[in-house]
Amino acid sequence: MNPPDTPTAGAGTDPPDYQELFRQFKGQEGELISILVRVQETFGYISEESVRQISQFLRLSENQIFGVASFFSKFRFDEPGRKSIKVCMGTACHVHGGGFLSDTLGWQLGITVGQSTKDKRFDFQRVNCLGCCALAPVVQINEKIHARTMVTQLKEILQNRE
Amino acid sequence: MNTEQPPITLSIDNRTVTAARGATILEAARAHGIEIPTLCYLAGLSPHGGCRMCIVEVEGVRTFPTACTTPVEEGMIVRTRTAQIEAMRRDILQLFLTEHTSSCLVCDEKAECKEFMPTIRKSGVTTGCRYCPKDTLCELQAVAESMGIDRIDHPIYYRNLRVETEDPFYDRDYNLCILCGRCVRMCQEVRTANVLAYKNRGRNTIIGPAFHRTHMAGGCEFCGACVAVCPTGALREKARAWEGKPDREETTTCSFCGVGCQLRLLVKDDRVIGSLPADDPVVNQGQLCVKGRFCNTELVSGYRRLRNPYARYGSIPTEISWDQATALMAEQLATCPPEEFALLASTNCCTEDLYVAQKFARVVMRSHQVDTTARIFYGPAFDPYLRLLGRSVPLSALSAAEVILAVGLDSRFGRSVVGVALRRTLKQGIRLITVNPHRHSYSLLAQIWLQPPSGGEAGLLRSLLDRVQPAAAAPAGASAAGRDSDLGEAARLLRESKRTVIMIGSEFMQCDGAAEILAILTELADATGAGFMPLPAQNNLVGSLTAGAYPEALPGGVPLDDDAHRRLAEQIWGVPLAPAAGSWNAWQLWAGQRSRVLYLLGELPPTPAVPADFLVFQNIYPPEPYCTADLVLPAAAATESDGTFINGEGRVQLVRRAVPPPGNALPDWEILCRIARRMGAAGFAFTSAEEIRAEMGRFSDAYRREADLARRDPRPFHWGGRMADTRPGGRAETAAGPAARETYRLTVSAVEHSHRGFPLSVWVEGSRMLLTEGMLEINPDDAAAAGIAPGDPVTVVCGDAEMTWPAKLHRDQPPGTLHAALRECACIRPNPQTVSIRKAHV
Repeated sequence: MNPPDTPTAGAGTDPPDYQELFRQFKGQEGELISILVRVQETFGYISEESVRQISQFLRLSENQIFGVASFFSKFRFDEPGRKSIKVCMGTACHVHGGGFLSDTLGWQLGITVGQSTKDKRFDFQRVNCLGCCALAPVVQINEKIHARTMVTQLKEILQNRE
Repeated sequence: MNTEQPPITLSIDNRTVTAARGATILEAARAHGIEIPTLCYLAGLSPHGGCRMCIVEVEGVRTFPTACTTPVEEGMIVRTRTAQIEAMRRDILQLFLTEHTSSCLVCDEKAECKEFMPTIRKSGVTTGCRYCPKDTLCELQAVAESMGIDRIDHPIYYRNLRVETEDPFYDRDYNLCILCGRCVRMCQEVRTANVLAYKNRGRNTIIGPAFHRTHMAGGCEFCGACVAVCPTGALREKARAWEGKPDREETTTCSFCGVGCQLRLLVKDDRVIGSLPADDPVVNQGQLCVKGRFCNTELVSGYRRLRNPYARYGSIPTEISWDQATALMAEQLATCPPEEFALLASTNCCTEDLYVAQKFARVVMRSHQVDTTARIFYGPAFDPYLRLLGRSVPLSALSAAEVILAVGLDSRFGRSVVGVALRRTLKQGIRLITVNPHRHSYSLLAQIWLQPPSGGEAGLLRSLLDRVQPAAAAPAGASAAGRDSDLGEAARLLRESKRTVIMIGSEFMQCDGAAEILAILTELADATGAGFMPLPAQNNLVGSLTAGAYPEALPGGVPLDDDAHRRLAEQIWGVPLAPAAGSWNAWQLWAGQRSRVLYLLGELPPTPAVPADFLVFQNIYPPEPYCTADLVLPAAAATESDGTFINGEGRVQLVRRAVPPPGNALPDWEILCRIARRMGAAGFAFTSAEEIRAEMGRFSDAYRREADLARRDPRPFHWGGRMADTRPGGRAETAAGPAARETYRLTVSAVEHSHRGFPLSVWVEGSRMLLTEGMLEINPDDAAAAGIAPGDPVTVVCGDAEMTWPAKLHRDQPPGTLHAALRECACIRPNPQTVSIRKAHV
């Protein structure tokens, strides 16, 4: 409830990583977005620890950094799952029931769009077009495209991907 | 504003007006009485242009610019009230109301509701909706009513956000937020605390600290500046939420620390319902800390305030009249020999109260045995600390400084007004060096943060001093901090600076090395020509000396052994003074020396086993259960009596009576005068604080009758005497514990945030979360290693003694160290010391 009073679990990333990462920056306020981009490239997401490290490097408050980062949909603040599931919501897929697919996947995984499962196996996102409208509706898991996906196939697909 | 350039002439609503170059259309219009509605605009904050209420028509401009962000130009033709603009404003306002609960504005029953709201029923019946605590004080409501909005043409989109009530002192209901950004700008621009930020984007935008943190975790200072500027009910004070409009305001001085901020007390029905910062140009500049902003109200308006005197007959407390109380007091004192009388006063009392208290002891009781708890708070550093007061510089010296050295200062909760001033000066490129073993409120801001190990502060400052002094340019030996480059850089900054200010917080004041630290700082100041900002934790420390409320000092702050001053006192009071007191001072009470009558003037007894036959307890709240006072006298709080404080700079500040005291409570000085008169003593016929000041003026320059006492420049207080340090000897540090267990360095400090002896957390609910006392602060990693969870009782073994406190996990506590803020800290010595810990009950 009160983070400064509770030990931070998962602060396991070694500080040297951040030192290495910050080396190419001068420590100016204007570099914030570039640093955020680098942090997300390196760690896959922006953790509370990352924000604290950036705060100490740039001498900006953590709240301001989060304010800037949360403005951009590019940045994510929770650890991504190992396999990324993308449900296409482009026009063709939408017409063919992409929304229904997306809802069902959410129920099956027990999460909503933009989250990852508790065991960090799956990461669930909606995208606007995967560029294969002829195969609609489409679900992409990592690099593999599942064409003409039916709701009834979802369970099987997920099991096969484990 | 540039005065050299000619003003600009423009036309607003067909009126020719003039405005200074650089002024905005809004400022020009308001200066000429032309009203343009605004929601996000607030003088003193940067223009935001977010609410779009102030859109105007400017001839030759294609769009409708916002008046608050558009600077005036020569020959500009502005129209603020065309039909088109009014229609657009109404539409924009309706868009606000689609998200904002608007039952107070748009309701079919509104006309009837207003008419029938006052009922003639005897019982309290609520009629009309009370959805929002800001009803009738809301700016959105005012703007909507002035535009005559009575329906909303757009679909309603209610955000359904959880009301955030987990933080102390104020709640947040972001369903009512209109994203005007006043709080964000206040927090970032004025307070520079940077706690509030816009999070997310578009219609998901919300205001708050990073991630889903509470304000507590986000580093909030709880200054309440954001709450004060919120135009709607989104931010609301817990204590004042449903109070409505105050009847009147009264300006007075805050009584929580030596900064001496000016307050505006909000009064309703002769009750203090809130306090806001006064727009005072010299001390607080419109800012307050959590104590001045929120703790004041709760402290003085608590329902458990003392209302009547009571005495204990056997074990039964019985309410008595003032007449009976003074009679009882006179009876006890009549037979009390001077050396067995002791008066312990609080430095939170007004100077007038303290003057009458010491006069009472010296004239009526013929005893010099009067002292304050400041001696206990500062411990061995008391005398050196008082000497520093003579070298104190006013707060305005901060902005003129080149280098600031802040020693043991953390301004998150206490003295946050100074923190704001300091951060403002940092923006001007002033260098800040901090000395603090903990992570503190300047960790990110300081150019250099010297982090001494616990107990190594004196060593660190000594090596800093060695490097500053040109004689010893070559560093001698290894520094205590082991950070040579930082130390060298700090020394270089101090050497090269022409104007240095040394700020002293209360971090190390209770440590055994405090006297040495202050001595080194004095040498450092001599070497660099620095000024001091001692920032006492007690609001009237200087006043207590000026009043002479110490066994070693007479009124005027002159040592007792000054013969000329003794004769002056004897002449003014008309009685011969007792010969100089022995070695009595407040430490004797802590050592358990018994006295016949112990008079506690706004203080708690030193120890649970009260060392007195007859204990008089005079305070605003009843004594705590363990204190079995024989006579309890209800005193008026600082908001209920007239008087003066003298702040750390030496500035005399007025305290004004805003409300009458509860029940039969009386000002401290009046109680003492009544007892003195009952005992037949002359010279206690004061009828007002003004009269007491007139008598003090004969002793002290500070109170010499002048046109305006409160407008004078501060006069640093010079202490020429010697305050004895007769602390009872503490336990000697045993070199090695009985078993070679994990050892920690334990530091203890006195509860700094207290008022009239009570830690604020006793009577102010919100401060229990912020200002902890009686808890063992421990680093989370250490706690995890020892298997300690938050709140677990932990036994601290030091030598052969054991003490148990609940644990509080604190990331800022350096590993291997422990800290506890205690009321009885003076008794724990040495400080710091090496201890071992274990979980209790295992």
